[in-house]
Parts: sequence; C-alpha cells; structure tokens
Amino acid sequence: MPYINSHSNSRYISAFDKWQEQKDFVKFTKDDEEALKKMHPTAMKYADDFVEKLYEHLMSHPDTKRFLSDEKTLNRLKLAQKAYFLDLTSGDYGEEYFNSRLKVGIVHQRIGLPPRIYMTTYCYYMQLIIPTIYGNPDFDAETANAIFMALYKIINLDQELAISAYIHATDEVISRQSEEIMEMSTPVIQIWDGVVAAPIIGTLDSGRTQQFMERLLEKIVETNSPVALVDITGVPQIDTATAQHLIDTINAVKLLGSQVIITGVRPVIAQTLVHLGIDLTDIITRPSMAAGLKVALDKLSIKVTDMSKTTQGS
Amino acid sequence: MDGNSLSVIKLKNILLVTVPDDPGDDTIQELQNKVLNAIEKYESKGLILDISNVNILDSFFARTISETTQMVALMGGQTVIAGMQPAVAITATELGLHLGKAISTLDVDKALDIFTDNFKTV
Repeated sequence: MPYINSHSNSRYISAFDKWQEQKDFVKFTKDDEEALKKMHPTAMKYADDFVEKLYEHLMSHPDTKRFLSDEKTLNRLKLAQKAYFLDLTSGDYGEEYFNSRLKVGIVHQRIGLPPRIYMTTYCYYMQLIIPTIYGNPDFDAETANAIFMALYKIINLDQELAISAYIHATDEVISRQSEEIMEMSTPVIQIWDGVVAAPIIGTLDSGRTQQFMERLLEKIVETNSPVALVDITGVPQIDTATAQHLIDTINAVKLLGSQVIITGVRPVIAQTLVHLGIDLTDIITRPSMAAGLKVALDKLSIKVTDMSKTTQGS
Repeated sequence: MDGNSLSVIKLKNILLVTVPDDPGDDTIQELQNKVLNAIEKYESKGLILDISNVNILDSFFARTISETTQMVALMGGQTVIAGMQPAVAITATELGLHLGKAISTLDVDKALDIFTDNFKTV
C-alpha cells in the first residue's frame, strides 16, 4: 500500500499521484483506456442485466443477503452498482475515479462487509463480463484480448484501492482506540491522607510508562503522599521490559521521598518474576491492594479500628 | 549565582540548606565546603538539602550530592534530600543518576520528622 500514510489522520488516503505510479507499475496505458472505451457500448447494453444477476446472486447467499435488508437500500445499491460498472469502461481514470474507488473500500469497511465478500463478488462480476467480450461479434480476437487485458488491469487497480482503504480505515479505528485506552487506563487517585493508588490496566510499554510516571509523581507531590500503591492486578503478563519500567518508576518515586508498594502480585506474576530473575527484594510487594493499604497505614502510623468490635469488647 | 549567597542554617542539631534555582558548579562545590565546615563546627547529626527550587539536576550535581552524603556520614551525620520536583526525578531516573545513600523526603517538614523519629529511637 504505497500511498497509505499511516500517520495521517485524514479520512482519505491522500496521494493520488502515488496511484498514478501504481498505474504505471501495472502498465496501464492510454491503449488500455482506449480498449476499455470500446467496451463501453456493450457495457451500457448489459448493465441493467448484470446488476440484476449480481444482486440475484448476492440475495441467494445468507452471508451476503444480510447486508441487503430492505427494498429501498437494495434499489439504491443497484443504482450505485450500475454507475460503478459503467465507470469501469468510461475511459476516464482520473482523480474522480480514484476517489470513488477509495470510497467503496471505506464504506464497505464501515458497514462491516468483509473484504472476502468484496473480492468474491468481483470474481462473479468477471464471470458475467468475460463472455460478453469474447462472444461479441464486434470484436476480433485481438481486440477482445486487449479489452480483457485492460479490464483485468483496471479491476486489479480497483481492488487494490478498495483493500488499501479497508486496511487504512481499520488502522484508524485501532489507533483511535489505543489512544483512548492510553488516556483512560492510568488513573492516580488519593485513597487516604498520605496514600495514593495507581491501578495499571494492560501492558506497560515505554510510552505508557512515561505518561504513568509523570501522573504518579505529580499526584504524589500534589497530595504530599509518602506512600504510593501501584496495583498490577490488571497487568496480564510481565516481561523484563515491563519490570524495568516498573523499577524506573519506583526509583523516581524514591527520589521524591515517597515509597512505592507494588500490589496485586498474582501467583503467575510472582512465578514469572522469579523465573526471569528480576530482583524486587528491595521493594515491598503484596498480593492485594487491601494488603498494600495495611502496610501503607502502618508506615504512616495510622491505626484503623473496627468500632463495632471495640464497643462490644468494652 | 556566587557561593556567598548560600546560607547554611543551624536548627538545633540539624543543618538546613536551601539550594538555589539552577546552581552552577562553583555554587555546588561551595555548598559542600560550607556544609562540611558547619558540621565540624556544630557537630550536627543531620543535613537537610532543600532542592525544591532546583529545576535541572545534572550529573555533576548528582555526584556532588552523593559524595557529600558519604562525607557527612563519615562525620557522623545523615543527609536528607527534600522536595525534589517530579520532572527532576524523571530526568534523573532516565539518565540513571543516583544520589547514593541520601534519603529523600517530600518536603522539609517530613525531613525534620525523620530526625526527630531517629533521635527518639536512638
């Protein structure tokens, strides 16, 4: 997908000029455009028939039928399909054509139509078109071959555009989601006077560590908390890199004059840490946030009493 | 910033030094000399370095703090670093700077607590 800029946030995959390069690459020339134009009257003649046959075919399969729920949508799609089909032999393969093909991929991705259906439908299309080329008395064998070749090339370009748009649209969804996850997954909350808690959900990569460390340190200073509970219950698996990120965070907190207690050390995490040879002996670790809070309160010389038990006893 | 503007304050048997914003190498060296002389003079048990004004911690400063801590320890005192800013702590961690045996606290208040607690137990 040479013309996809994965870092851009634009809805459209830019760079029409890249597509021109792509055309050159498959050797789609003026001759091909001419050949396709020759096919246009035939296409006009069969357009309605093809569209009907195509939708008959799609309606006969439950996999595709579910996308064609009501009559209104169906009619609109048939019209769009006809225009799409006639565009194939229009002879004009400029920017407008490029954008319309991209839109096909984007729209299909949005309604959740898998690329598999798009591709197989195109195959059925070819099965309808090819006989009208070779069975056409207007075309000699050479012309028919030229048309077939040109059609093959433009359809390949079409498919490539649509699939790239599919991938691009999916990539956008993924990057948006990971941004959202990043934003919401590292809250730092004060749970007691002098104690902050930070539950980590998900994997701790270097980007998130940086953000997490900043938030944790800011909160510690803001609330003047000597103890910080870092809960790793929500961390699915720990590796050496994650452990190192944790240790860095702990060291930074120590420099501030506060202390980290790691909570939520599950059996599987404990096993992994020992097997990886990661030394956390200088750090207080506890299996649960509750156990960690007890340690924190001890450190602050705070005693919590169960009032009901005290009154009963006295 | 010249070394003369540094003041080493004696509070009972503790010394308190407020490190100025962006200290130069000379200032840091001067700080070490003044602190060690004051410890000799007052036989202080502790040193509090308030670095809450410091925005940048370079390797020279970090090393001097670490060394001063060792020197103070040799003369019978404990060093406490008070009020480091989050950004400074992050940079220090990234650069792998260490402050040796110095203890950190969130602010001067908590640093004083350490000494009072210690003296109670001792």
